Amino acid sequence: MSLVNFTTREITCKIVYYGPGRSGKTTNLQYIYSQVPNERRGRMVSLATQTDRTLFFDFLPLDLGSISGFTTKFQLYTVPGQVYYNATRKLVLQGADGVVFVADSQARQLDENIESLQNLHQNVLEQGVDIRGLPMVLQYNKQDLPRDLVLAPAELDDALNFRSLPSVPADALRGAGVFETLKAVSAEVLRKLSQGSAGREG
Amino acid sequence: MTTTVVELWTQEPLLRFVGQASARLVVVMTPAGQVLAQHGFARAVDLMGVAALGAAIMASSAALADLVGEPRYGTIFHAGQRHGIHLAALATPRGPLVALTVFGRETSIGLVGFFFEEFAAALRSAAPAQPARGPILAENFEAELGQSLASLFRR
Repeated sequence: MSLVNFTTREITCKIVYYGPGRSGKTTNLQYIYSQVPNERRGRMVSLATQTDRTLFFDFLPLDLGSISGFTTKFQLYTVPGQVYYNATRKLVLQGADGVVFVADSQARQLDENIESLQNLHQNVLEQGVDIRGLPMVLQYNKQDLPRDLVLAPAELDDALNFRSLPSVPADALRGAGVFETLKAVSAEVLRKLSQGSAGREG
Repeated sequence: MTTTVVELWTQEPLLRFVGQASARLVVVMTPAGQVLAQHGFARAVDLMGVAALGAAIMASSAALADLVGEPRYGTIFHAGQRHGIHLAALATPRGPLVALTVFGRETSIGLVGFFFEEFAAALRSAAPAQPARGPILAENFEAELGQSLASLFRR
Protein backbone atom coordinates (compact mmCIF):
# COMPACT_ATOMS: atom_id res chain seq x y z
CA MET A 1 0.00 0.00 0.00
CA SER A 2 1.45 3.37 -0.97
CA LEU A 3 2.57 5.71 1.77
CA VAL A 4 1.41 9.32 1.50
CA ASN A 5 2.62 12.11 3.77
CA PHE A 6 0.64 15.33 3.49
CA THR A 7 3.00 17.21 5.82
CA THR A 8 6.13 16.65 3.75
CA ARG A 9 4.06 15.99 0.59
CA GLU A 10 5.68 12.69 -0.28
CA ILE A 11 4.31 9.58 -1.95
CA THR A 12 6.09 6.21 -1.92
CA CYS A 13 4.73 3.37 -4.07
CA LYS A 14 5.75 -0.28 -4.38
CA ILE A 15 5.72 -1.89 -7.83
CA VAL A 16 6.41 -5.61 -8.27
CA TYR A 17 7.68 -7.18 -11.51
CA TYR A 18 6.14 -10.68 -11.65
CA GLY A 19 6.37 -13.47 -14.21
CA PRO A 20 7.84 -16.89 -15.00
CA GLY A 21 11.53 -17.72 -14.60
CA ARG A 22 13.86 -16.14 -17.16
CA SER A 23 11.13 -13.91 -18.60
CA GLY A 24 13.26 -10.78 -18.06
CA LYS A 25 12.12 -9.22 -14.77
CA THR A 26 15.63 -8.59 -13.47
CA THR A 27 16.68 -7.38 -16.93
CA ASN A 28 13.98 -4.69 -16.74
CA LEU A 29 15.39 -3.39 -13.46
CA GLN A 30 18.98 -3.61 -14.70
CA TYR A 31 18.09 -1.55 -17.75
CA ILE A 32 16.28 1.07 -15.64
CA TYR A 33 19.28 1.19 -13.28
CA SER A 34 21.64 1.74 -16.22
CA GLN A 35 19.59 4.60 -17.63
CA VAL A 36 18.65 6.62 -14.56
CA PRO A 37 21.05 9.30 -13.25
CA ASN A 38 22.84 8.38 -10.03
CA GLU A 39 21.16 11.10 -7.99
CA ARG A 40 17.70 9.79 -8.90
CA ARG A 41 18.24 6.19 -7.87
CA GLY A 42 19.60 4.14 -4.98
CA ARG A 43 21.77 1.06 -5.09
CA MET A 44 20.20 -1.92 -6.85
CA VAL A 45 19.98 -4.80 -4.40
CA SER A 46 19.89 -8.32 -5.87
CA LEU A 47 19.44 -11.35 -3.66
CA ALA A 48 20.46 -13.95 -6.22
CA THR A 49 21.95 -17.45 -6.39
CA GLN A 50 25.55 -18.03 -7.50
CA THR A 51 24.23 -18.46 -11.04
CA ASP A 52 22.49 -15.09 -10.90
CA ARG A 53 18.96 -16.48 -10.64
CA THR A 54 16.80 -14.36 -8.36
CA LEU A 55 16.55 -16.06 -4.97
CA PHE A 56 14.46 -13.59 -3.01
CA PHE A 57 14.11 -10.31 -4.91
CA ASP A 58 15.81 -7.50 -6.77
CA PHE A 59 15.13 -4.02 -5.48
CA LEU A 60 15.62 -0.60 -7.07
CA PRO A 61 14.47 2.65 -5.46
CA LEU A 62 13.71 5.56 -7.81
CA ASP A 63 13.01 9.23 -7.18
CA LEU A 64 10.50 10.39 -9.81
CA GLY A 65 10.53 14.02 -8.69
CA SER A 66 7.45 16.16 -8.11
CA ILE A 67 4.01 15.11 -9.35
CA SER A 68 1.00 17.21 -8.41
CA GLY A 69 3.16 18.84 -5.74
CA PHE A 70 4.15 15.53 -4.15
CA THR A 71 7.72 14.23 -4.12
CA THR A 72 7.13 10.80 -5.62
CA LYS A 73 9.32 7.76 -5.00
CA PHE A 74 8.91 4.29 -6.46
CA GLN A 75 10.28 1.05 -5.05
CA LEU A 76 10.70 -1.50 -7.84
CA TYR A 77 10.89 -5.17 -6.84
CA THR A 78 11.16 -8.40 -8.81
CA VAL A 79 10.07 -11.81 -7.56
CA PRO A 80 11.89 -15.10 -8.21
CA GLY A 81 10.13 -16.68 -11.17
CA GLN A 82 10.95 -20.32 -10.55
CA VAL A 83 7.94 -22.35 -9.45
CA TYR A 84 9.41 -23.59 -6.14
CA TYR A 85 10.04 -20.08 -4.79
CA ASN A 86 6.36 -19.34 -4.23
CA ALA A 87 6.79 -18.63 -0.51
CA THR A 88 9.18 -15.78 -1.26
CA ARG A 89 6.98 -14.48 -4.08
CA LYS A 90 4.16 -14.09 -1.56
CA LEU A 91 6.40 -12.10 0.77
CA VAL A 92 7.54 -9.72 -1.95
CA LEU A 93 3.95 -9.18 -3.13
CA GLN A 94 2.87 -7.91 0.30
CA GLY A 95 1.78 -4.30 0.11
CA ALA A 96 2.27 -3.98 -3.66
CA ASP A 97 0.61 -0.94 -5.23
CA GLY A 98 1.03 -2.20 -8.77
CA VAL A 99 2.25 -5.21 -10.73
CA VAL A 100 4.07 -5.57 -14.03
CA PHE A 101 3.58 -9.07 -15.38
CA VAL A 102 6.60 -9.83 -17.57
CA ALA A 103 5.62 -12.56 -20.02
CA ASP A 104 8.11 -14.49 -22.15
CA SER A 105 6.87 -14.11 -25.72
CA GLN A 106 8.34 -17.42 -26.90
CA ALA A 107 5.56 -19.75 -28.06
CA ARG A 108 7.04 -22.66 -26.09
CA GLN A 109 6.82 -20.60 -22.89
CA LEU A 110 3.08 -19.95 -23.10
CA ASP A 111 2.17 -22.59 -20.51
CA GLU A 112 4.72 -21.12 -18.06
CA ASN A 113 3.22 -17.65 -18.60
CA ILE A 114 -0.29 -18.92 -17.90
CA GLU A 115 0.86 -20.84 -14.83
CA SER A 116 2.68 -17.79 -13.46
CA LEU A 117 -0.33 -15.54 -14.09
CA GLN A 118 -2.59 -18.00 -12.27
CA ASN A 119 -0.05 -18.11 -9.44
CA LEU A 120 -0.14 -14.30 -9.24
CA HIS A 121 -3.94 -14.32 -9.01
CA GLN A 122 -3.82 -16.98 -6.28
CA ASN A 123 -1.18 -15.15 -4.24
CA VAL A 124 -2.99 -11.81 -4.50
CA LEU A 125 -6.24 -13.48 -3.49
CA GLU A 126 -4.56 -15.06 -0.45
CA GLN A 127 -3.62 -11.56 0.71
CA GLY A 128 -7.26 -10.52 0.60
CA VAL A 129 -6.76 -8.22 -2.38
CA ASP A 130 -9.16 -8.14 -5.33
CA ILE A 131 -6.93 -8.51 -8.40
CA ARG A 132 -9.43 -6.46 -10.39
CA GLY A 133 -8.57 -3.44 -8.23
CA LEU A 134 -4.80 -3.91 -8.42
CA PRO A 135 -3.10 -1.66 -11.01
CA MET A 136 -1.40 -3.97 -13.48
CA VAL A 137 0.38 -3.90 -16.83
CA LEU A 138 1.46 -6.80 -19.06
CA GLN A 139 4.84 -6.69 -20.78
CA TYR A 140 5.45 -9.08 -23.70
CA ASN A 141 9.21 -9.44 -23.54
CA LYS A 142 11.66 -10.98 -26.03
CA GLN A 143 9.75 -9.66 -29.05
CA ASP A 144 13.16 -9.25 -30.70
CA LEU A 145 13.50 -13.04 -31.17
CA PRO A 146 12.79 -14.54 -34.64
CA ARG A 147 9.12 -14.33 -35.65
CA ASP A 148 8.71 -18.09 -35.86
CA LEU A 149 9.71 -18.48 -32.19
CA VAL A 150 7.51 -15.85 -30.57
CA LEU A 151 3.83 -15.08 -30.34
CA ALA A 152 2.69 -11.68 -31.59
CA PRO A 153 1.35 -9.17 -29.02
CA ALA A 154 -2.21 -9.74 -30.29
CA GLU A 155 -1.85 -13.51 -29.76
CA LEU A 156 -0.46 -12.96 -26.25
CA ASP A 157 -3.33 -10.57 -25.51
CA ASP A 158 -5.75 -13.35 -26.51
CA ALA A 159 -3.99 -15.88 -24.26
CA LEU A 160 -3.17 -13.76 -21.21
CA ASN A 161 -4.97 -10.43 -21.20
CA PHE A 162 -8.55 -11.28 -20.26
CA ARG A 163 -9.06 -7.97 -18.48
CA SER A 164 -7.88 -5.74 -21.37
CA LEU A 165 -5.03 -4.37 -19.25
CA PRO A 166 -2.41 -2.09 -20.81
CA SER A 167 0.15 -4.28 -22.60
CA VAL A 168 3.59 -3.36 -23.94
CA PRO A 169 5.77 -5.34 -26.40
CA ALA A 170 9.39 -5.26 -25.25
CA ASP A 171 13.01 -6.24 -25.73
CA ALA A 172 14.21 -5.57 -22.18
CA LEU A 173 17.79 -6.54 -22.93
CA ARG A 174 18.12 -3.56 -25.28
CA GLY A 175 15.60 -1.43 -23.39
CA ALA A 176 12.77 -1.39 -25.93
CA GLY A 177 9.46 -1.12 -24.07
CA VAL A 178 11.03 -0.87 -20.60
CA PHE A 179 10.39 2.85 -20.21
CA GLU A 180 6.90 2.50 -21.69
CA THR A 181 6.09 -0.31 -19.23
CA LEU A 182 7.24 1.71 -16.22
CA LYS A 183 5.29 4.70 -17.47
CA ALA A 184 2.14 2.63 -17.95
CA VAL A 185 2.23 1.01 -14.50
CA SER A 186 3.13 4.33 -12.83
CA ALA A 187 0.12 5.95 -14.46
CA GLU A 188 -2.15 3.09 -13.32
CA VAL A 189 -0.87 3.29 -9.73
CA LEU A 190 -1.08 7.08 -9.51
CA ARG A 191 -4.49 7.09 -11.18
CA LYS A 192 -5.75 4.89 -8.39
CA LEU A 193 -4.29 7.33 -5.87
CA SER A 194 -5.91 10.25 -7.67
CA GLN A 195 -9.23 8.49 -7.28
CA GLY A 196 -8.62 8.19 -3.55
CA SER A 197 -8.98 4.44 -3.47
CA ALA A 198 -5.48 3.41 -2.41
CA GLY A 199 -2.73 4.22 -0.01
CA ARG A 200 -2.08 4.92 3.59
CA GLU A 201 -2.04 8.43 4.94
CA GLY A 202 0.92 9.84 6.84
CA MET B 1 23.28 12.85 11.87
CA THR B 2 20.00 13.39 10.05
CA THR B 3 16.64 12.36 11.43
CA THR B 4 13.59 12.52 9.21
CA VAL B 5 10.07 11.41 9.89
CA VAL B 6 7.28 10.76 7.43
CA GLU B 7 4.77 10.57 10.28
CA LEU B 8 5.25 13.19 13.00
CA TRP B 9 4.08 11.02 15.91
CA THR B 10 7.20 8.89 15.50
CA GLN B 11 9.64 11.77 15.99
CA GLU B 12 9.82 12.15 19.76
CA PRO B 13 10.06 8.41 20.57
CA LEU B 14 12.69 8.00 17.82
CA LEU B 15 14.92 10.84 19.02
CA ARG B 16 14.72 9.59 22.61
CA PHE B 17 15.61 6.03 21.58
CA VAL B 18 18.55 7.16 19.42
CA GLY B 19 19.97 9.15 22.36
CA GLN B 20 19.40 6.50 25.01
CA ALA B 21 20.60 3.50 23.01
CA SER B 22 23.41 5.32 21.14
CA ALA B 23 22.07 3.85 17.91
CA ARG B 24 23.84 4.73 14.67
CA LEU B 25 20.98 3.99 12.26
CA VAL B 26 17.30 3.44 12.99
CA VAL B 27 14.48 2.79 10.53
CA VAL B 28 10.81 2.47 11.49
CA MET B 29 8.82 0.97 8.64
CA THR B 30 5.74 -0.96 7.64
CA PRO B 31 6.08 -4.73 7.08
CA ALA B 32 6.15 -3.95 3.33
CA GLY B 33 9.28 -1.81 3.79
CA GLN B 34 7.66 1.65 3.58
CA VAL B 35 9.64 4.02 5.80
CA LEU B 36 7.84 6.04 8.48
CA ALA B 37 10.90 7.47 10.24
CA GLN B 38 14.68 7.20 10.14
CA HIS B 39 17.84 8.34 11.80
CA GLY B 40 21.31 8.33 10.26
CA PHE B 41 20.72 8.19 6.50
CA ALA B 42 21.62 11.06 4.19
CA ARG B 43 19.81 9.86 1.04
CA ALA B 44 16.24 8.59 0.85
CA VAL B 45 17.10 6.15 -1.93
CA ASP B 46 19.82 4.49 0.22
CA LEU B 47 17.41 4.25 3.11
CA MET B 48 14.81 2.49 0.95
CA GLY B 49 17.24 -0.33 0.17
CA VAL B 50 17.97 -0.94 3.85
CA ALA B 51 14.25 -0.85 4.66
CA ALA B 52 13.47 -3.36 1.90
CA LEU B 53 16.08 -5.79 3.24
CA GLY B 54 14.99 -5.33 6.87
CA ALA B 55 11.35 -5.93 5.97
CA ALA B 56 12.38 -9.00 3.95
CA ILE B 57 14.30 -10.49 6.89
CA MET B 58 11.31 -10.06 9.19
CA ALA B 59 8.89 -11.41 6.59
CA SER B 60 11.00 -14.48 5.82
CA SER B 61 11.56 -15.16 9.54
CA ALA B 62 7.81 -14.97 10.14
CA ALA B 63 7.19 -17.39 7.26
CA LEU B 64 9.81 -19.79 8.65
CA ALA B 65 8.22 -19.56 12.10
CA ASP B 66 4.86 -20.49 10.58
CA LEU B 67 6.41 -23.47 8.81
CA VAL B 68 7.98 -24.91 11.97
CA GLY B 69 4.94 -24.11 14.12
CA GLU B 70 6.60 -21.43 16.23
CA PRO B 71 5.05 -18.14 17.30
CA ARG B 72 6.44 -15.26 15.24
CA TYR B 73 9.98 -14.22 16.17
CA GLY B 74 9.47 -10.77 17.68
CA THR B 75 13.12 -9.79 17.73
CA ILE B 76 16.11 -10.82 15.63
CA PHE B 77 19.70 -9.91 16.47
CA HIS B 78 22.76 -10.16 14.24
CA ALA B 79 26.18 -9.63 15.81
CA GLY B 80 28.96 -8.26 13.62
CA GLN B 81 32.61 -7.26 13.93
CA ARG B 82 31.89 -3.52 14.04
CA HIS B 83 28.11 -3.26 13.88
CA GLY B 84 25.21 -5.15 15.39
CA ILE B 85 21.70 -5.23 13.95
CA HIS B 86 18.54 -5.40 16.04
CA LEU B 87 15.29 -6.05 14.16
CA ALA B 88 11.93 -6.16 15.87
CA ALA B 89 8.25 -6.29 14.99
CA LEU B 90 5.72 -4.30 16.99
CA ALA B 91 1.95 -3.90 16.88
CA THR B 92 0.51 -0.37 17.06
CA PRO B 93 -2.94 1.17 16.53
CA ARG B 94 -1.61 2.31 13.13
CA GLY B 95 -0.92 -1.31 12.20
CA PRO B 96 2.08 -3.65 12.46
CA LEU B 97 5.49 -1.99 12.18
CA VAL B 98 9.10 -3.12 11.95
CA ALA B 99 12.06 -1.31 13.53
CA LEU B 100 15.65 -1.86 12.41
CA THR B 101 18.50 -0.56 14.60
CA VAL B 102 22.19 -0.59 13.69
CA PHE B 103 24.59 0.02 16.57
CA GLY B 104 28.35 0.05 17.14
CA ARG B 105 30.75 -0.78 19.95
CA GLU B 106 29.82 2.33 21.93
CA THR B 107 26.72 0.47 23.11
CA SER B 108 25.57 -3.14 23.50
CA ILE B 109 22.74 -5.45 22.48
CA GLY B 110 21.55 -5.43 26.10
CA LEU B 111 21.20 -1.65 26.17
CA VAL B 112 19.62 -1.52 22.73
CA GLY B 113 17.13 -4.22 23.71
CA PHE B 114 16.34 -2.53 27.02
CA PHE B 115 15.70 0.90 25.48
CA PHE B 116 13.90 -0.66 22.52
CA GLU B 117 11.17 -1.88 24.87
CA GLU B 118 10.59 1.73 25.96
CA PHE B 119 10.73 2.86 22.33
CA ALA B 120 8.13 0.30 21.29
CA ALA B 121 5.84 1.29 24.16
CA ALA B 122 6.18 4.98 23.24
CA LEU B 123 5.36 4.24 19.60
CA ARG B 124 2.32 2.19 20.60
CA SER B 125 1.12 4.98 22.82
CA ALA B 126 1.68 7.76 20.24
CA ALA B 127 0.39 5.95 17.13
CA PRO B 128 -2.90 7.20 15.73
CA ALA B 129 -5.49 4.81 14.34
CA GLN B 130 -5.37 4.48 10.56
CA PRO B 131 -7.35 7.40 9.05
CA ALA B 132 -9.55 7.18 5.95
CA ARG B 133 -8.30 9.05 2.93
CA GLY B 134 -9.80 10.91 0.00
CA PRO B 135 -8.34 11.73 -3.42
CA ILE B 136 -4.66 12.70 -3.34
CA LEU B 137 -3.32 13.64 -6.74
CA ALA B 138 -4.85 16.08 -9.17
CA GLU B 139 -6.82 14.37 -11.92
CA ASN B 140 -4.44 15.73 -14.58
CA PHE B 141 -1.29 14.27 -13.00
CA GLU B 142 -0.36 12.29 -16.11
CA ALA B 143 1.38 15.14 -17.97
CA GLU B 144 3.64 15.71 -14.94
CA LEU B 145 4.27 11.97 -14.63
CA GLY B 146 5.28 11.82 -18.30
CA GLN B 147 7.70 14.73 -17.81
CA SER B 148 9.18 13.19 -14.64
CA LEU B 149 9.78 9.82 -16.29
CA ALA B 150 11.21 11.42 -19.44
CA SER B 151 13.64 13.36 -17.25
CA LEU B 152 14.46 10.20 -15.30
CA PHE B 153 15.34 8.36 -18.51
CA ARG B 154 17.00 11.47 -19.96
CA ARG B 155 14.66 11.49 -22.97
